[in-house]
Amino acid sequence: MKPIGGIEVRSMNYSHKNVDIGVQAYQLGEEFQMLMAGPPPTGNSFTALLELPANQAMELLHSPGAADSPTELPLKRHHNMSHRSARNHPHDCAPAFPSNAALNEGATKYSGISTAAAFGGGGQDSPESSSSANAMKVKSEPMDSGSSPNSLPHTSNPTVASKNEKHTKRKEREKGKATNKKNKTAANDNSKEGERLPYVHVRARRGQATNSHSLAERARREKINARMKLLQELVPGCSKISGTALVLDEIINHVHSLQRKVEFLSMRLAAVNPRIDFNLDSLFTAGNGSVLESNFPSMVMPLMWPDIQMLGNEQECQQQWHLGSVNQPVWTRQEGHQNLIISENSLLSYDSPANSVSLHSSQQKMEI
Amino acid sequence: MNPHPSSCSNGRSIRTRFARRFLRALKKIGSKGSSSRPSPRDISWRCRRVKIAADASMASAVGPRRVWSRTMLNMLRSRSHACLHASRLGNSRRPGADRHAVGKRKRLVLKRKLPNRLGLNQVNQLRRLVPGGEAMDLDILLDETAHYIKCLATQVKVMRSIVDYCSA
Repeated sequence: MKPIGGIEVRSMNYSHKNVDIGVQAYQLGEEFQMLMAGPPPTGNSFTALLELPANQAMELLHSPGAADSPTELPLKRHHNMSHRSARNHPHDCAPAFPSNAALNEGATKYSGISTAAAFGGGGQDSPESSSSANAMKVKSEPMDSGSSPNSLPHTSNPTVASKNEKHTKRKEREKGKATNKKNKTAANDNSKEGERLPYVHVRARRGQATNSHSLAERARREKINARMKLLQELVPGCSKISGTALVLDEIINHVHSLQRKVEFLSMRLAAVNPRIDFNLDSLFTAGNGSVLESNFPSMVMPLMWPDIQMLGNEQECQQQWHLGSVNQPVWTRQEGHQNLIISENSLLSYDSPANSVSLHSSQQKMEI
Repeated sequence: MNPHPSSCSNGRSIRTRFARRFLRALKKIGSKGSSSRPSPRDISWRCRRVKIAADASMASAVGPRRVWSRTMLNMLRSRSHACLHASRLGNSRRPGADRHAVGKRKRLVLKRKLPNRLGLNQVNQLRRLVPGGEAMDLDILLDETAHYIKCLATQVKVMRSIVDYCSA
């Protein structure tokens, strides 16, 4: 936490001092896009933190040649401006850094900036970081620093930045909504920040809590609802039911019935297996053919083909394959049945009598 | 049944992989227990083997990127020796009764992990049905359940077509 505080307060300091530069830089808005790919002017002990959306950062990273002169400070965001300028003028900030009361005031004032800076600083290690007030400041908004999605931890080295990018994108996907809201609320505290952050998407409606916990909880609830909807589409006959408990009941029944079907089919396979194990080679190929609907990878088929010809039961194989394809609509129709008994009976009905008898006997033996 | 096209192709490949593994395992089982007159103990052993083979091939076809398949693979791996010993000793449980036939392997794990199952609402039931679902968040549990249902449906389809082929 402490290195975060160091970076943050440094940027605070800069934004506090150079507001006019910030405004100017904000007006230069369009030129910024290519800036970040430029080589860092200062050493790597001081790391620049940027808050960028991931696509824009990607764009910046992929065009390394188009760097403006870094002294112009053409950064689109106020965050970017502050950190970038802090990076470019470290000598400005460095003397004023440790334990300045006005500095801490500035830090609390620019909390919207500080959150992004704090998150970006999480990946960095800046050695000078020992102000207790800064640590306290960071502690006061831990959720922001943890969940700021747009902030990209850009070090001076572009390769490190590109390495960090994937991580940040993932984070953005997870927590994007909550943090955008958070940024907006932080920006609303300061009118200047609000003007300078026109890109922030607000998803919190009126009357909704903007506490970080409630935001996270809301995101979780929406995720659960989406999953539930997907499950409702997945389970047949479940899409018309409303009510979470009933839907869950249906899902449970469906999983139950599927597991029972697997159990029953494995029982049938166990009963059938000794009868056909001499035939299993042809079963292997033909089963693949029928099961996979001729979508089997062609590298396996030539491997298995000579087995059939060697066994000489190609005819039988073909015949059984046709029978399997005839039977196929039957069991696909039966899939909709929730009741296992019905499907059992119908399965047994079109079996050969010997097989059904053996199956019955095996089932009885199972139950005994 | 599959609303997403990406998961459709995924399901097809999972289906292919499951069919290959399962048929290979069936072949091994069939070659192993090739006695002339199968005793009931032999049949029950074979049934258990087939079921384990189905589960294992499904889980390994899905791969370790899902929680339920990981859990199932771990369960089978830790359980295979005990199962083999039990079948050799002949103290087979009775898999015929209705409620006991459903989630035998799951309930075995549950007895280890979750000794008190008194607060039974739907979510807890679902947790018990989905392997590895005891320690999940609700959203992850629902996600895993969706994938598990898809894979179970694939398993049922493949196994049923094999049964149809065998009994035809």
